[in-house]
Formats: sequence, structure tokens, C-alpha cells
Amino acid sequence: MPDPAKKLSVEIYSDRVVTTLVMFSVIWAVIGMLAGVYVAAEMVWPALNFDQSWLSFGRLRTFHTNVVIFGFGVSALMGTAYYSVQRTSHVRLYASNLAWFTCWAWQIAILAGGISLLMGLTTSKEYAELEWPFDIAITLVWVCFAIVFFGTIAKRRIKQIYISNWFYGGLIIVIAMLHIVNNLALPVTLTKSYSLYAGAQDAIVQWWYGHNAVGFLLTGGFLGMMYYFLPKQAERPIWSYKLSIVAFWAFTYSYIWAGPHHLHFNAIPEWVQNLGMVMSLVLLAPSWASMVNGIMTVSSAWEKLRSDPSLKFIVLALAFYGLATFEGPMLAIKSVNIISHFTEWTIGHVHSGALGWNAMITYGTFYFLVPRLVGGNLYSVRLANIHFWLALAGTILYIVALWGAGVSQGVLWLSLDDLGELRYSFTEVMAAMKPYYLLRLVAGILFFIGTLLMIYNFFKTIVGRRTIAVRPPIESLAVA
Amino acid sequence: MAYFIFIGDMFVMAFMIAIVIWVSMKSSRESTNKAARIPLEDEDIDG
Repeated sequence: MPDPAKKLSVEIYSDRVVTTLVMFSVIWAVIGMLAGVYVAAEMVWPALNFDQSWLSFGRLRTFHTNVVIFGFGVSALMGTAYYSVQRTSHVRLYASNLAWFTCWAWQIAILAGGISLLMGLTTSKEYAELEWPFDIAITLVWVCFAIVFFGTIAKRRIKQIYISNWFYGGLIIVIAMLHIVNNLALPVTLTKSYSLYAGAQDAIVQWWYGHNAVGFLLTGGFLGMMYYFLPKQAERPIWSYKLSIVAFWAFTYSYIWAGPHHLHFNAIPEWVQNLGMVMSLVLLAPSWASMVNGIMTVSSAWEKLRSDPSLKFIVLALAFYGLATFEGPMLAIKSVNIISHFTEWTIGHVHSGALGWNAMITYGTFYFLVPRLVGGNLYSVRLANIHFWLALAGTILYIVALWGAGVSQGVLWLSLDDLGELRYSFTEVMAAMKPYYLLRLVAGILFFIGTLLMIYNFFKTIVGRRTIAVRPPIESLAVA
Repeated sequence: MAYFIFIGDMFVMAFMIAIVIWVSMKSSRESTNKAARIPLEDEDIDG
């Protein structure tokens, strides 16, 4: 039998790469959200683009979405996936050098990709704007991510594959499939390519990608984060493990069909639109199953909510997750969509998920993770609490402002006069939006200030410290 | 088209029911509880 003491001296979890990914994630959060605040200001004062093409709304908005989703979001997912997969498998990362490669290559890809977007290089496909050389680089890094993740699971020391790994695994496999299929293109120069699909087919493939990127990256991936870090913070097992498994399969099976709801009343077959609508409604069940599971897990640990800012963030994230996953299916109903489509309501819905769910659960996880990674305490719980209230106020204000804007836009655009012609011109409707846009800017600034407080808090927490050594449980090493 | 959606829905329902039955029958309470506790017993900290 192998000597566990000997193994103990060599086998520790690969956590330095996790620390690095977490730090990159918060840096991208600041850069991406700053860009978001700036484009929100441009909606109020268009002259803020100073006639500079790289500062124009079209380029900066794309930069904002790519940096927050792929810089902030994916770095956080990669870091937390590496952290949890080795612990739930009781082994260090498989091919930890490859994990370092994914960490650095991803940051370089996001940096170069972000600059290319500011230069105006774009495929014009939403959330897939990066040109073909970046698509190839992203595919390469993603395959390496898969090798590290699944390699770690393959050499695990315990029989079960914990539920968070199913969600992270689903994220890796489905995003690979979506990214490759949607980005198939014919390159004509180093910086320009044309999609392999044309017209309505291109639109269907794009929104099959677009919606499932939201599904498997921004929902499934972050559910993986929730299923691991919520029990850790609450110090209780997940309320119903069986429900989590049912929710995973139901989520995976139904999400993949829902994309066509982005194309209601467009030039695609009506049955495809209806299918997307019905499957979007079906999605409510698995989405809320995970929310209920999370809330019930905390239900026996409410007292911790008074003192633990990270748990507060996660519980609030679950509340916004429930809200966003209820609103999504409602917006997919065609009779609602006829009002909401092409209005700010959609942007409000996206941000109730992005700020309320993705950012909040990541913040909660990081407040737990960062002190733990360096073996210390959080520098200031008070600052974290202030951050919590700023984030909550910012998110609510953002959603309410854009609900108001979106419903107003929808109703005004559908309003007809006695002759059956549009009662209001486009410019009249847009002029009515200014107060809402101002509110949205204030909301964004509040949220951004909170994020700055967090990065200062983390800096003071980790300064002068190094990632500590953590090893798998000794019993696990003894039986291996 | 309505039949297509109806049949699709039936497939989804059948899949969900099959998953619920499979999860209920395949896994024992002991193994499920053990799996649920994985995050709570997964590290020895050695500062």
C-alpha cells in the first residue's frame, strides 16, 4: 500500500493558478464595467464619443459585453472550476502546467480580442464578434481547459462525481460545440471572414449559439459555482442532492431548444418560433428547481446571513436568478415579446441576470475564496457589506429604470393614430427615454463603485501573502 | 406543427420522468448523502 505520509509531502491542490484567475477576473470586471458605465453615459450624452471611432457606442458596447462575459465571467468560471474539481475529486489538477497555459492564454486572447473590437474588427454576430484568428485561439484554450478538467475527474479518488462538476462539464462541452459551429466561417484576410451560413439560417444558428451561451455559460456554469460554494459557505450539504441531478438533466435537455425566441416575428418558420417559446416555458421548472434547492440549503443557516457578506451575496444572487429565470420565459411568450422585443426591457432582463445573478454569485464566491486561498481573513467585512448594498441598489435601480424604458418604448412604438399610422416617430420615443437612461447610468455607477471597493478589499487582503498549501483529506490518500 | 410541438413535449416529459425514476431507483440514500457531503470534507489545510 502506498505510504500516505510520503504522498502528503508532495500532493497539494494546485491553487496558485486559481488565485491568478480570480485576480484576472476582478481586473476584467473593473475594465468591463467601466466600459459599461461609459456607454451608459453615451446614451445620455452622445457627444462623449468625442468623434473617436474607438469610443463610439457600437465598438465600446461590444468591448463591454465581451470583457465582462469572457474576461470577468469565464476567468471566474475557470478559476472556480479548477478550485472545486480537484477538491471534489480529492486530487490535484491533472496537467497543472496546462492549467497555467489556459490561464495566461485566455487573458492574452481577451486583451488582444478586446483591442481588436475597439479597432472595429468584428464579425457582427452578437457575443461572437471576435474574428477568426481569435476563434481558433479560443478553441485551443477551451480544449486545454477540457483536458485539465476531465483529466482531473478521470483520476479522482472518490467514486461519485459531485453535481457541480456536471454543470462545469456541461459548460465545457456545450460551449465548445456552440463556439465551433456558430463560428464556422470563410476567412478572406487575416482580419475578415464571412459566415458559412446565410440569411435566416445564419440567424437561427447565431441565436442557437447566443441563447445557449447564456444558458450553459452564464447559467449552467454559475450553477456549478453555486452548487459547490453555497454548501461550503453555509457549512451544510445541498438541501436535495436528487433534485440537483434532476435539475441538471432537465436544464440540459430543455435549454438547447429555446434559442428561436430571440427571433420572434422574424423571417424564420413559425413552428421554430413556437418551439422556442414552448421550450422556454418548460425551462422555468429546472431553473426554479436549482433556485429552490439553493434557498432551502441556506434555510437552516439564516443566522450566518447576519455576519457573512459572501453568503448574503449568494442568497441575493439566487433571488435574482429566480427573478430572471421567471422573466425570461415570460418574455419568450409571443404576445409579450411583441411589446418587449427591440426595447430596453430586454437589456434590463439581461442585466437582472448579469448583475443580479452572475456578478453577485461571483462576488459572494470571491469573498469566500480570496481570504481562504491566502490563509487569512478578509481585510474589511464592513467594506464588503457596503459593497453588498451598493450592488443591490445598483441592480434594482438598473432593472426598474429599464423596465420603465422598455415598456414605454414598446407601447409608444405600437401606438397608432386614427389613420392607422405610427403616432410617435423614432426620435420622439428616444427623446422620452432620457430620464430612464440617466437612472441607468446612476445605477451602473453605484454597481461599479461597489466593485472598486471589492478590488481594494481584496488587494489589502492578499498583499504580502502567498497562496497557502492545501492537501486532499488524508483518508483519501491512505486508500488510494 | 402543433403535433410536432405536442410530440416534442411528450418526449421531454418522458425524459424527465425517466430521469426521476432512474435517480430514485439507482441511488441509495446512503450514497446520495455521501455525495452531498463531498464539499464539506474535501481538504486538509496546511498553512
